[in-house]
Amino acid sequence: MTLSALNADVIVDQLNAGELKATDCVQYFLDRIQTHDAEINAFVSISQTALEQAEAIDQRRKAGQTVGCLAGLPIAIKDGICVSGQPTTAGSKMLEKFTPPYDATIVERLKSADAIIIGKTNMDEFAMGSSTENSFFGPTHNPWATDRVPGGSSGGSAACVASRLAPVAIGSDTGGSIRQPASFCGITGLKPTYGSVSRYGLIAFASSLDQIGPMTRTAKESALLMSVIAGFDPRDSTSSKAQITDCLSGLETPLNGIRIGVCRNQFNDGLDQEVETKINDATSVFKLLGAEIKEIELPHSQYAVAAYYVIAPCEASSNLARYDGVRYTFRAPGNDLEEMYRNTRGQGFGNEVKQRIMLGTYALSSGYYEAYYLKASKVRRMIKQDYDDAFQKVDLILGPTTPTPAFKLGEHAEDPLAMYLADVYTVSANLAGIPAISVPVGQSKNGLPIGLQLQGRAFEENTLLRAAHQFQNVTLWHDTSPSQPWRTQT
Amino acid sequence: MAGTPEQTTVNQVAKLARIHLNEQQIESSAEKLAQILGYIGQLDEVELPEDVTPFFGAIESVNAIRDDQLQASVPRKEILDNAPDSDGEFYLVPPVF
Amino acid sequence: MEDSDLTSSSNPPSNDRLAVQFNDAEIIIGLEVHVQLDTISKLFCGCSTQFGEAANSQTCVVCTGMPGALPVINQRALELSIRTGIALNCSIARSTKWDRKNYFYPDLPKGYQISQFDQPICGPGHLDIEVPETPGKLRQIRIERAHLEEDAGKSIHDESSLGQDSKIDLNRTGTPLLEIVTQPDIRTAAEAKAFLSELKLILNYIDVSDCNMQQGNLRCDANVNLHIPLGDHQIATPIVEIKNLNSFRSVERSITYEAQRQFEAWQEHGLTITDAPKQTRGWNDHAQATTLQREKEDSADYRYFPDPDLIAVTIKESQIKQIQKQLVQLPTELRKTLVEQYKLNPEDAAAIVSQGRGVVDYFSEVADGCQDSRIANNWIGQEVLRQLKESNQTIQQYPLSPKQFTELLNLVIDGTLDQTRGKEVLNEMVEHSISAQQAIEQLGIKPVDKNELVSLCEKLIDENQEVVEQIRAGNGKAIGMLIGKARKINPNANPGAIKALLSKMISQ
Repeated sequence: MTLSALNADVIVDQLNAGELKATDCVQYFLDRIQTHDAEINAFVSISQTALEQAEAIDQRRKAGQTVGCLAGLPIAIKDGICVSGQPTTAGSKMLEKFTPPYDATIVERLKSADAIIIGKTNMDEFAMGSSTENSFFGPTHNPWATDRVPGGSSGGSAACVASRLAPVAIGSDTGGSIRQPASFCGITGLKPTYGSVSRYGLIAFASSLDQIGPMTRTAKESALLMSVIAGFDPRDSTSSKAQITDCLSGLETPLNGIRIGVCRNQFNDGLDQEVETKINDATSVFKLLGAEIKEIELPHSQYAVAAYYVIAPCEASSNLARYDGVRYTFRAPGNDLEEMYRNTRGQGFGNEVKQRIMLGTYALSSGYYEAYYLKASKVRRMIKQDYDDAFQKVDLILGPTTPTPAFKLGEHAEDPLAMYLADVYTVSANLAGIPAISVPVGQSKNGLPIGLQLQGRAFEENTLLRAAHQFQNVTLWHDTSPSQPWRTQT
Repeated sequence: MAGTPEQTTVNQVAKLARIHLNEQQIESSAEKLAQILGYIGQLDEVELPEDVTPFFGAIESVNAIRDDQLQASVPRKEILDNAPDSDGEFYLVPPVF
Repeated sequence: MEDSDLTSSSNPPSNDRLAVQFNDAEIIIGLEVHVQLDTISKLFCGCSTQFGEAANSQTCVVCTGMPGALPVINQRALELSIRTGIALNCSIARSTKWDRKNYFYPDLPKGYQISQFDQPICGPGHLDIEVPETPGKLRQIRIERAHLEEDAGKSIHDESSLGQDSKIDLNRTGTPLLEIVTQPDIRTAAEAKAFLSELKLILNYIDVSDCNMQQGNLRCDANVNLHIPLGDHQIATPIVEIKNLNSFRSVERSITYEAQRQFEAWQEHGLTITDAPKQTRGWNDHAQATTLQREKEDSADYRYFPDPDLIAVTIKESQIKQIQKQLVQLPTELRKTLVEQYKLNPEDAAAIVSQGRGVVDYFSEVADGCQDSRIANNWIGQEVLRQLKESNQTIQQYPLSPKQFTELLNLVIDGTLDQTRGKEVLNEMVEHSISAQQAIEQLGIKPVDKNELVSLCEKLIDENQEVVEQIRAGNGKAIGMLIGKARKINPNANPGAIKALLSKMISQ
């Protein structure tokens, strides 16, 4: 088998066994990027030091020194996460030449596990979008059909894993930005519990919703990455001190007796027929695996998108105030300070970002706080309460990740609301802070991947990953690759 | 200020957000703002219990506190390197007025 | 011109207004005091709060608002805020949270200031003050709240009016500030000054802040307007917030100026609080006047909302109790102690207390040691404080321990040393850091024999007949001249003894 067909855990095993050199591994993926990324545009920048690092790891292995648990494994990082000394743009002209002098906590952790960051992946500007079309560096193309979007905002990470330009990647998820592109690209993507992975070094979109998570082909790979990136970080006040349950060791525990809830009122008009069929098929698989399927209700989930589109823009309008042309790279000239501010922010931000800043600024402006942010935060409490109630009866909640498979580039360009509704099934987990995973469960007739979402109790990522892994033990969708030049199996 | 009430609002908000918009952008922004605000309006339908407390996101409410201890600052050069304009000591910005 | 379009029930004809005297108006003052808390690191990061370092040398990814960086609250800043709250009789919040105050300014790196909006760490309290002009009369000033927030950086604007760039230094950014807000209970400029003096003293006593105003560690804004009786009712002038007050004197003078200005403006235009919004004026120390500050129209729309990067802090009852227990005696209690226990008069007690806790401790130890608090007060209040001032030292740096000082005072009290020689001994002790006994030896001080004294007086009478005549003629004061001469001949001669002896000999 070629390297592109191997899962990360197998690659690590081979590296450890001395069957594979880190330099060869890194070179292999750099070559694939070189060959294919012009068509996919998954990367914003490629590391200039990856081979050097791989060389050092090979040396250490040779000398019998201990190495980290991911030693030599190439990994791609969403460009909204700071890597010291490497350009970190968040997909924005505003940060085109920004080079952070520090590592995000998860980058620090990956580095100390000796993983090798091979590049930074494309994304919707400041993670605002569901298609990766809102990137200053051009759209990313879906490896399954290049005229379609890979989803977003972590579209670059999803596309690079789907086309195996990197074995695994890291994304971030504010309203579905890991799960929706994972679904569109036929890979596995986990949004962890709010607070279980440090946000330190993640360029903020909406701080109370943002979470970093793994984007991989299999649940097992996600579990492996979680074992490295999750855990308390004293530099993030919202980081949880609770011990994260070990995700790896319980993966093989069968699902007998697990209770999975299905919320039927989410299977509504907006849901694509093919998607519904595949979700129902997958539900049967879970039944066969020993799960008990129960109907549940989430009465307030229909308001999730509305609440989300108040809370996220409000926080974003404040989080993005720092891009004022004073400290970070881009400045458009102006005769006085005010003019410089307005020109910088007018020219440095893309349209969608400006639109959301406008919405958030409006919703927080004098006299509107109660009607918007406060009310949305109260609805948010109701949504969380719904989950708390549901998780009294079930252990997991199952449903579609997205209403449709990947749409075409430009399809929703003039209709923001249609684009926002791509997040209809994913935003609730961000609002409630609970973990959720998307796993591939089939394809549409025209060969586009379809994803299923599992949501779990806070800090029970292990249950999510176990269920996903058990599902992948008996299905092949995660192993299916696009029939494109970058197909993996030969 | 000419234009629809929405455009007037957009103008005011753009000022508050320090974002320059041209006329066409104002028009399109007003349209989109009206659309999304219309959608958000459904929040008014939600029957909220009177004692409901807002949920602001963090799942735990354990105090996150650090001791009053010094940590090394970042060297000035590294900090100023990202600035569009500096004299090596200060950030430089156009005059306030 | 009669301002007819402005005339309403609150704008009567100007003749009525002109009939009102300034002295009839009551000045209503509320203060907002920003105190820099004495922490070594900033409020949300580990950068130093040290003043006066090279520009932008004390910043990091957190306090420059670098994309991705996150704040974590400083424990000591919380503790110092609670301590201040307790000292100001405030209720302490059991749960306190952080809000973002959004506005654009180049020295505000994140585009928002982390502050506290609706759940400040300290709730209502009060501070009793005494204005020096009316001793013995206590005034209670209510505190509305005190909240924690981060400071902004420093902008250095081009003063040449050539339109040069402004320079931004972010060293101060993120320094912890406690903003203490009073109710509008203050009625005179002197009261405002007295409030600030007492506040500063308390903050010094409880080690919350050094309140160094030159370094901007205590800054004050004053909200001022007038209540003016007019016929059977009373009108209020528009409220003005005076900014840039960085000395007690400027607080006092700006309020006095502003009250007069508002009165004259009202006499001229008749505008009242309902006619005009709150105005911001800056105090120009050079011109000794307040001037209207240019403000952006949207400057008040701060779009406060809870900071999602921080979680609420829960303060336990036990934590408050603990801090309460550790709290030292406050100035008010100490003044009482000095008056009641040490029998000082209130003015002397206040003077000692105003010097800070170190001086009070020094005084108590000396007074206890020599069993004469009046003498201890005289010597410490005059000699010690003068020496400290001259050498620009604090009491902690004073070369004499309270024990050494007590030793000296005991020699004065038992008559071994007269006041003058005592002071010489003191100077010698301070100069060479030696004990009283050593200083006495070095100065060659020894008791003078009675016979020696008699012959000295005889000699003086012989040689100064003119003076003696004056004294005999009734000029009692002239004896001082003889005493002076005696001490020139023999510095150890006790002036009291000489005087007694001379008087006796001359009158014989």
